[in-house]
Amino acid sequence: MTRIENRPLRALLGVLTSLKLTIVCMAALMVLVVACTLAQVHLGTWGAVNVYMRSWLVWWDVPGTVLSVPVFPGGALAGAVLAVNLIAAQLKRLELSWKKAGLWIVHAGLILLVIGEFVTGMFQQDMQLAFEEGHTANYVEYPRENELAVIDVTDPAWDEVYGIPETLLARADEVQVPGTPITLKVKRFLKNADLAMRTPNDAPAIATAGVGTSIRVAELPPVTTDDRPNATAAFVEPVAGGRSYGTWLVSALLAAPQQFVYEGRTYQLAMRSRRVYLPYSLTLKDFTHDVYPGTEIPKNFSSLVHLNNPARGESRDVLIYMNQPLRYDGKAFYQASFGKGDTLSILQVVSNPGWLLPYISCVLVTVGLLVHFAITMRRSMRRRAAAAEAHS
Amino acid sequence: MIVGALVLAASGCQRESVSHFRVPKSAPAPEPAGMAAMPAGMGGGMGAPGMAGDVPPPAQPTGSSALAWTLPKGWNEVRGGGAMRYATITPPASGGKVEVTVIVLPGPAGGELANVNRWRGQIGLPPLDDAALASARKHVKTRAGDVSVYDFLGEGQQKTRVVAGFTFTEGNTWFLKMSGDASAVGARKPEFVSLLESLRLDAN
Repeated sequence: MTRIENRPLRALLGVLTSLKLTIVCMAALMVLVVACTLAQVHLGTWGAVNVYMRSWLVWWDVPGTVLSVPVFPGGALAGAVLAVNLIAAQLKRLELSWKKAGLWIVHAGLILLVIGEFVTGMFQQDMQLAFEEGHTANYVEYPRENELAVIDVTDPAWDEVYGIPETLLARADEVQVPGTPITLKVKRFLKNADLAMRTPNDAPAIATAGVGTSIRVAELPPVTTDDRPNATAAFVEPVAGGRSYGTWLVSALLAAPQQFVYEGRTYQLAMRSRRVYLPYSLTLKDFTHDVYPGTEIPKNFSSLVHLNNPARGESRDVLIYMNQPLRYDGKAFYQASFGKGDTLSILQVVSNPGWLLPYISCVLVTVGLLVHFAITMRRSMRRRAAAAEAHS
Repeated sequence: MIVGALVLAASGCQRESVSHFRVPKSAPAPEPAGMAAMPAGMGGGMGAPGMAGDVPPPAQPTGSSALAWTLPKGWNEVRGGGAMRYATITPPASGGKVEVTVIVLPGPAGGELANVNRWRGQIGLPPLDDAALASARKHVKTRAGDVSVYDFLGEGQQKTRVVAGFTFTEGNTWFLKMSGDASAVGARKPEFVSLLESLRLDAN
């Protein structure tokens, strides 16, 4: 009876620990790498990695329909199964003895490497900080995601900033802005749109207030390459205290915010890159762009940044240059780009809770190989000594 | 894996919710990151200014309410030419990047100080206050009324410069901005000022 009950479990354990599963996972990952590389032509690097590597399943949109069907395991699924397979195989096959200590450490390092890539793929946040010489920034932005910022600017010293993610605007008919009396009715959402001045021949504007009354909006297909962000736009109707404040056009192409007043409080509306404010600030003191003498070939880019964190009593200068990021408060600030006649510096800001795991795994593999080598050498020397003794 | 999936789902939900930050007031923000990656020299800043005030009038800059101007010799113009632009004007090549944009918006469009500080922010200069704004302002008389003219030189190794005219007429705010490499903008400034001097309402 017990044997029958355990049979499926044993079969599952057999599958999980099998070398065939390892090979299948490795083959799936190889296929995904090739497909992801080819797809970068149409989707851009970021888009292709999201579709093939950072997903549980690869989906295929059936042409001519709204159907989307899974056709292949994604990188996350293949990697997770591989990690489970490696752990299970390790526990089943490798004997627990001091002789195998080195191999145990090597395998632990390899498993940690797979887990590290999984954590990075799923939890890494890529943001940006663009500032000019002399400017101070206390926020970072997601360059590929937008938000509708509703900002209460009434207080002379503080702004209350409410960020509504574009994903929420895309699927909600109305959004209650928490902490405010404002409800935003979403009349229309456009992931990407171009703006132009209206002409008398255009259809009546959707917007009834603000600058949108003079603007023609043309929907564009979403951007799929890495070099440009989507110019997200929406028509929203703020309602507060039972009164409508008209329908406003908000767009990432409109540089300055629009505003309305409710009971003496001034609220601004602005579509912009999704922003995360920091409890500290960074000031760009100087950006330097060195080239090799007599050429235009870049030699080095560096940003001299002043870090100010009143809460920790920190106020110091930091030099950020190629491959030398500032690691601070769980984020790494890398020199990524520049512009505006070498007065603007763009830092890539990466938040990755698993950034240490690859380093630890490399150390583990190295230590494991050294331990295994030492054990094997010791055993070999003992054998030689025993053989020499037998001959003498 | 189940725990991992739950954590993942939770983090996904977090990104869907409305965020809230209480932040100290700051200087004018730099250009959006996407614009910032533009080639050096042009200084970005082609986006349109916004609109302040509660429900402004929806005016149309057509017919008798639209501005017209006379192009200096050798200059070219296209209507539109970019998001939010009324016109894009290109001077002849003069050893550097330079471009003139014309943007028109109904109403006060955020006001003169906010827009001037936005231009200054685009070339890395700190904001001005009302007193400093008045001393930086020059005037050009035109048939369409008085035009405020500002000239700012940015900092940095490769200097950028903005010369911009600002006028409010027939319920619309007009921005005529020449920006680019400092030397090229300097070379074209007299012709740009003559373009500003030629401003008139289209009906005249």
